[in-house]
Amino acid sequence: MTNPQSAPVLKVVDLSLRYLTRGGAVKAVQDVSFELAEGQALGLVGESGCGKTSVANCLMRLLPDNAQLVAGQVLIDGQDILSLTEDKIREYRWQQIAMVFQAAMNALDPVYKVGQQVVEAIEAHGVEATVSLARERVARLFRMVGLDPALMDRYPHEFSGGMRQRAVIAMALACDPRVIIADEPTTALDVIVQDRILRELKGIQQQLHMAVIYISHDIAVIAEVTDRIGVMYAGRLVEYGATEDVFRAPLHPYTAALMGSFPSIAGEKRVLANLSGEPPNLIDPPPGCPFHPRCIHATEVCRQEIPPRVQRGSQWADCWHPLEESAVPESVEAGEV
Amino acid sequence: MTGYLVRRAGQMVLTLFLIITVAFFLVQAQPGDYASFYALNPDLPPDVREQIRASFGLDKPLWEQYLIHLKNTVTGNFGVSFGHFPRPVMDVLIERVPRTAVLFLTATVFSFYIGFFLGKAIAWRRGGVLEYTATISGATLFTVFTPAFALMMIWIFSFRLGWLPVGKFLDPLVWRHADVTANHVFGQMLLTAFLFTVFAFLVLWALRKTGRVALARWAGPLIAVGAVVVLLLWSISSVGGLALDILKHMVLPIVTLTLISFAGTMLLTRNSMLETVREDYVMAARAKGLPEKQVRDRHAARNALLPVVTSLVYSLIFAIDGSVIIEVVFSWPGTGLTLLQAVRTEDLPLVMGAMVFIGLFSLLAHVIVDILYVYLDPRIRYQ
Ligand SMILES: Nc1ncnc2c1ncn2[C@@H]1O[C@H](COP(=O)(O)OP(=O)(O)OP(=O)(O)O)[C@@H](O)[C@H]1O
Ligand code: SF4
Ligand SMILES: [Mg+2]
Repeated sequence: MTNPQSAPVLKVVDLSLRYLTRGGAVKAVQDVSFELAEGQALGLVGESGCGKTSVANCLMRLLPDNAQLVAGQVLIDGQDILSLTEDKIREYRWQQIAMVFQAAMNALDPVYKVGQQVVEAIEAHGVEATVSLARERVARLFRMVGLDPALMDRYPHEFSGGMRQRAVIAMALACDPRVIIADEPTTALDVIVQDRILRELKGIQQQLHMAVIYISHDIAVIAEVTDRIGVMYAGRLVEYGATEDVFRAPLHPYTAALMGSFPSIAGEKRVLANLSGEPPNLIDPPPGCPFHPRCIHATEVCRQEIPPRVQRGSQWADCWHPLEESAVPESVEAGEV
Repeated sequence: MTGYLVRRAGQMVLTLFLIITVAFFLVQAQPGDYASFYALNPDLPPDVREQIRASFGLDKPLWEQYLIHLKNTVTGNFGVSFGHFPRPVMDVLIERVPRTAVLFLTATVFSFYIGFFLGKAIAWRRGGVLEYTATISGATLFTVFTPAFALMMIWIFSFRLGWLPVGKFLDPLVWRHADVTANHVFGQMLLTAFLFTVFAFLVLWALRKTGRVALARWAGPLIAVGAVVVLLLWSISSVGGLALDILKHMVLPIVTLTLISFAGTMLLTRNSMLETVREDYVMAARAKGLPEKQVRDRHAARNALLPVVTSLVYSLIFAIDGSVIIEVVFSWPGTGLTLLQAVRTEDLPLVMGAMVFIGLFSLLAHVIVDILYVYLDPRIRYQ
């Protein structure tokens, strides 16, 4: 694990984002705050549609036309990137934060050679002086992610899924970024390849001492490669803490339910609880705690008032009835239907 | 690739055969024949009338005439034109085909370029003034009755403003004392245009080969210098004035043809680009911090180009009949006008010859578009 004392590279403060649609404003991100130190790995987990990709896109300031930033700051070394001009943000992207896309399959342009697409990023930021130096750099990156440098001059359709994923990782590393966001980097791959690529990515991260944000809906995947974990529900960060603490004893019932609904890759399979129902509609989220319609611990107060933040060691959660350290297995088991 | 070419060649032969067969019988289906024009003369005695028909071979049974024409076509010697007697068909066509090709190619290149440029601009910035003006004027020009629009262009630019000649290929007053033929001058102009295109491509290719962005920027200025040199050489040459006269006559038909056809490419590019801007690789290009122009041109527009090029094949058909109408309205002595006159007078050898050339031309265009597509889309390979 890395030194928690090192200064934060990335600081997100009270971020709120919504999408304006015909049906109303989709409150995709609400009051999200977290910090990331150099060399640290943070995992963002949550079900589909709870706003993980939206947070990532805010960090890149890469938002669709109908997105509206309501409030918040994204600070890199104290500089708020949400207030940068278009030209500055262009320099910032890929040099400061790069991204491994959710759909790696489609993140490569089909009409250009894969190596060329990496060279393009290097050229845009003037990282290397000449094309041949840039190509040497790409060859090094390819070797680092386990690809034969000869593949540089092949087209994306000649690559297998795993190879494309590696190429997209190499592309993200092209300008030595300080932070990499890996948005569901491996969901389209089979479990074995997925596991291997994640381990390799973790190795590269430690070797280069980068900060990485892993995004996944699979908490077990996240647990293996991160030191911090943030659990998102309905656009909010509902629990945050050191990965091993959150795993040993989650505070929030949603975290416990998530842990129960996925078999761990490493450990023995234990089905703790079923997560029934769907995440809420973000145009008109439920009052009080957004999780209350699905929560087995919900009481009257949960339905009416926003839950307070409870702290325990490195860990915090927004809940009226946080789980006891010892109470986890029983309370979740009670949820089985 | 060889397999593909062989298959294509086979299709071409079959298509050409069908074209000339249909053309032959359609022309024959008209009442009368070429000799009717003479034969209707009441002063001619019947035996002379028959003699005239016999001399054109028109007294033979239909199938025999068909076989004769087919044989002439297959051997590549189309025989002698009835109407331009005694000029061989080949001679007439070699004079006229390049005139059409120039009109048609220039207008196609212009309208494609303009359409693609406008299309990507309006897809990139939705809802601007440009989008409304370009879409409305483009769609209007696309659907307007071509002869009426062509006449309107002549009215505005020739009669009212007097900037450009009314029609035809050249002005006889200018050429009165010329000691060269128009075909000779035109041939040299074509050669110049061809060599200049080759030069421009070589410059672009060579500078790109160096792999230095800074050098690639010199391509534009270098080509511009080349253009100035070429123009200078022409203007001091003895036939400069004559070439200018032909050029002046080309402007209006080309502009008209371009205006009525650019909207097709524009609207297609726009629709195709509205799809590609949503693609992940466009988002990735932007995330990489590439300048907006590069994201638009090298990624979004580059991919949007693929379906537009496919449709180019269909717009070729449109452009071919567009150019026949344009040639008629502007009295431009090209293949289209020649074909129309030949059909009207039942000048069979010339009809067949012109059909073969038009057919060859459009088939060749198909093959070029196919090859272009392979070059543009690495995912496609013809087996
Ligand atoms: N451009 C948009 N316009 C309107 N709503 C949007 C837009 N993009 C996302 N949303 C909505 O915002 C919410 C959050 O979406 P987001 O993509 O951030 O979720 P996610 O956690 O990444 O989900 P997934 O696991 O499926 O990737 C969803 O309800 C989604 O439908
Ligand atoms: S606040 Fe209430 S409803 Fe929300 S998670 Fe906690 S116990 Fe469940
Ligand atoms: Mg997502």
